[in-house]
Amino acid sequence: MSTTFVNEPLLELRRAPVREELLRALAGLDAELPLAVGVLAGPDAAVGPRETFDSTDPGMPSRVVAVAQTATDADVDAAVAAARAAFPGWSARTAAQRAEVLRRAAALLRTDRRRLAALAVRECAKPWREADADVAEAIDFLEYYAAAAQELERGPHLVKVPGERNELRYVARGVTAVVAPWNFPLAIPLGMVAAALAVGSTVVLKPAEQAPACAHAVVDALLRAGVPAGAVNLVPGFDGPARRLVRHPDVHTIAFTGSEAVGLDILQAAAVPAPGQRHLKRVVAEMGGKNCIIVDGDADLDEVVPAVVRSAFSFGGQKCSAASRVLVHERLAEALVQRLAGAVDALVVGQAEDFATDVPALIDEDSQRRLLEALAQAREEGTVIAQAGPVPRDGWFVAPTVVGGLRDGSTLVARELFGPLLTLEAVADVDEACDLVDASSSALTGGLFSRNPRTVDHVVQRSPVGNLYVNRDITGAMVGRHPFGGNRLSGTGTKAGGPDYLLQFVEPRVVVENTMRHGLVV
Amino acid sequence: MAFALVPSSSRRHARQGGATDRPPGDRITATGREIAAAMDHRRSLRTRADDAVMARMTADPRVKAALFRLVDVRPACADARELGAHLAALLDEVDTGDAPAGVHTARKIADGRFTAAATGRVVALGVGQMAGRFIVGADASASVPALRRLWEDGVTTTVDLLGEATVTAAEADAYAARCALALDVLCAAAATWPARDELLERDGAGAIPRVNLSVKVSALTPHLRPDAPQRGIDDATARLRPLLRRARDLGAHLHIDMESLDDREAVLETALSLLDEPEFRDGPSAGIVLQAYLKESPAHLEEILARVRAAGRTVPLTIRLVKGAYWDHELVHARQLGWAVPVWEDRASCDRCFEALTRTLLRAFPLVRPAIASHNLRSVAHALEVQQELGLAPGAVEYQILRGLGDDLQGALAARGLRVRAYCPVGDLVSGMAYLVRRLLENSSNDSFLHARQSGTDLDDLLRAP
Repeated sequence: MSTTFVNEPLLELRRAPVREELLRALAGLDAELPLAVGVLAGPDAAVGPRETFDSTDPGMPSRVVAVAQTATDADVDAAVAAARAAFPGWSARTAAQRAEVLRRAAALLRTDRRRLAALAVRECAKPWREADADVAEAIDFLEYYAAAAQELERGPHLVKVPGERNELRYVARGVTAVVAPWNFPLAIPLGMVAAALAVGSTVVLKPAEQAPACAHAVVDALLRAGVPAGAVNLVPGFDGPARRLVRHPDVHTIAFTGSEAVGLDILQAAAVPAPGQRHLKRVVAEMGGKNCIIVDGDADLDEVVPAVVRSAFSFGGQKCSAASRVLVHERLAEALVQRLAGAVDALVVGQAEDFATDVPALIDEDSQRRLLEALAQAREEGTVIAQAGPVPRDGWFVAPTVVGGLRDGSTLVARELFGPLLTLEAVADVDEACDLVDASSSALTGGLFSRNPRTVDHVVQRSPVGNLYVNRDITGAMVGRHPFGGNRLSGTGTKAGGPDYLLQFVEPRVVVENTMRHGLVV
Repeated sequence: MAFALVPSSSRRHARQGGATDRPPGDRITATGREIAAAMDHRRSLRTRADDAVMARMTADPRVKAALFRLVDVRPACADARELGAHLAALLDEVDTGDAPAGVHTARKIADGRFTAAATGRVVALGVGQMAGRFIVGADASASVPALRRLWEDGVTTTVDLLGEATVTAAEADAYAARCALALDVLCAAAATWPARDELLERDGAGAIPRVNLSVKVSALTPHLRPDAPQRGIDDATARLRPLLRRARDLGAHLHIDMESLDDREAVLETALSLLDEPEFRDGPSAGIVLQAYLKESPAHLEEILARVRAAGRTVPLTIRLVKGAYWDHELVHARQLGWAVPVWEDRASCDRCFEALTRTLLRAFPLVRPAIASHNLRSVAHALEVQQELGLAPGAVEYQILRGLGDDLQGALAARGLRVRAYCPVGDLVSGMAYLVRRLLENSSNDSFLHARQSGTDLDDLLRAP
């Protein structure tokens, strides 16, 4: 499988005609706004008026991108029932048959990729480069899991003896509930949904309330590609539908990406069987990070500064992999502070649709408030080293900021902020940095800049993180190349886009058949 | 300027383009042989010894990688002991069962409690010596004696100020200030140089400045973004304009170097739109670079020539034709992102492209001034033959080499009465290291012309039409 999978190429945005195509796609999308997003809950769902909510452009909140229906409890129940009804048929298909459907969905996304990127630009203020990468990753997930499920269906090798036929089969567990975030509004919902579908599960997707239109677009592609009605369902809304969905007795697997608080709540809820539930629920949870980049004394600042800036501030730091803490060898601290400050000064904060923008608006007003409060705390407990500006007035903008000199015990070095705030601390050596990383409760991504192979080995041994990046940016994991996911309180240790991810969505069944009768081996 | 190429299986493939449009092969071969003989005659014992040592040390690819990574990290090491520690760590990766003789011993010594610092000092000295071959001085003033010696030998120069990457506005300002200072210092010094052959100071299109500074747009702005070229253009323009004025007022030449394809559009546009401004109509003398390794380079040249015609400047634009120095980067970058590879992937295609561009460029004189920058003897001999065929005077075409790499060629061409310009990097150890590693890679690449020549590949093979 790994030999045939190839990552979908990103658009070559360095060429002007490619950029012009995207701007045309955006103009076309704008003419259609606001989009309507409805509940998709199978043939038996109630029809009629529901409450609706708006998803808006974070860079210009007066622009309504989509008007979405809020799924009711009855909708959630109907969606799970539809998924349950569709399960026997979908899981009875061969992996190859399901893979064909998923590959068709990938082809549809490829055809629509400019419009989909434009939708991520509008609905989530995702800058073009990141929005395009989001579409490409969505395509990658479809194709990677399609192939991986075919591989999984072949089953592992077991010890064989004469007169006995042994087989280990991986069988879909049942209905999968997917609770998705807004920060990769296409790739992450689709990735979790595609993994479930690939092995024969059916799905109910609860998208983030900030990005219902993006989720609707990928579900629409799956349905157009031939996923049967009922095998994939959409229940937009806020917390309500999610809480009901994960507690539903007919849900077998829960795939979640989001905050630590919600993830822990899901894990707890899933541990308690509902009345009538005859199985254990399995939870795949991908939660937050407090990701550190260690800069050793022999690092090349020419490489470090741009990589730190990109890792901390691209998409406003709103990636679970984003850097939020730099631990720099004291020998380089002063030079790094100076150069980092200048590089942050040079950042352009602006609208996502502008190719010249480095840092867009944050996703919503809550995020803006959270970051502004953190900045106020940072001013009190430390020193602002650099702050980019100016920022546009309308929209949920926050100036990218680097803070140093934090007093001991400041919570800013421990709490995930999910925004453009980077803290910097000097350390005496790499081991002190490793101690600080080890003291953290999260272990998602990490970075190291060193030109000494022994130092690299040493830090690799000491790092608890799920994804360690050496001498490069710490974001931008690629499907199939960099299986992604965190340890400790960052997640259940599963690796999206990796060879063992699908095992979370199946249960193993072993069949042993005696093939000898009267000395005759059949 | 030159670059490494992957092993080529397409050398024997059918040629593209018309074979009628080239000078007879035997004349090119004869010219190439003459130059090669003159080069061998001129190779100093020091260069021969250096190259022999380098060849031994880089024969094993793992040792070579360790060595170049050591050179790279040299300026970041606090002291000799730390440098020794890096050597030991880098040799760990080489010191396996089939390691070349001496590696194990070297690692033991570098690791030794009492010998680590001493090893570090030896390495530091070695790196410093290597750097000295390629870099003419720590700053403009310090490089004046070397530049003057070259001038007195009948070789003119262009100076490139090495530096760290520009990531802040302050760094861009500092680079612009260094450029301005270098123009002042070099112009003051060059005014006292003795008059030389007319060839160095004038061609059929007019006067040629003695002082020639190569500048990098990426060093003039922290705002280069491949997806948003205008952002870099606007910011770099604000720093390049005063430099152009200064060069014009001092009578110096300013050359805008080309960099990776990501920034090509921004670099070219910064240069050409500034030169379009009325105040620069009659000066300074200025130039840009054309990279033959790009498959699109013929279209680039057409576009540039059209713009030059439309601009109507009275000083011809110099176009330096190079193969391109970012070949590995372009290839890896495109492959990682799944893009069509923008560079020729085999040496023969690239060499053919270089020759086709040579012809177009030489035909465009005196609308533009062609400069052929190559260490590939075949490419140079071809240009010489085209020059003769088109009836161009010796000074109508300039030949350029890299200091430290093309010294033999420089002597041989100057002796033929040609104008040769040596590209001379200026900078301290810290900023010079990245440059040094690139040059070392180039010099030791299995596919480079220089390496092939040094390792005894038959001259006829090297001079054969690509």
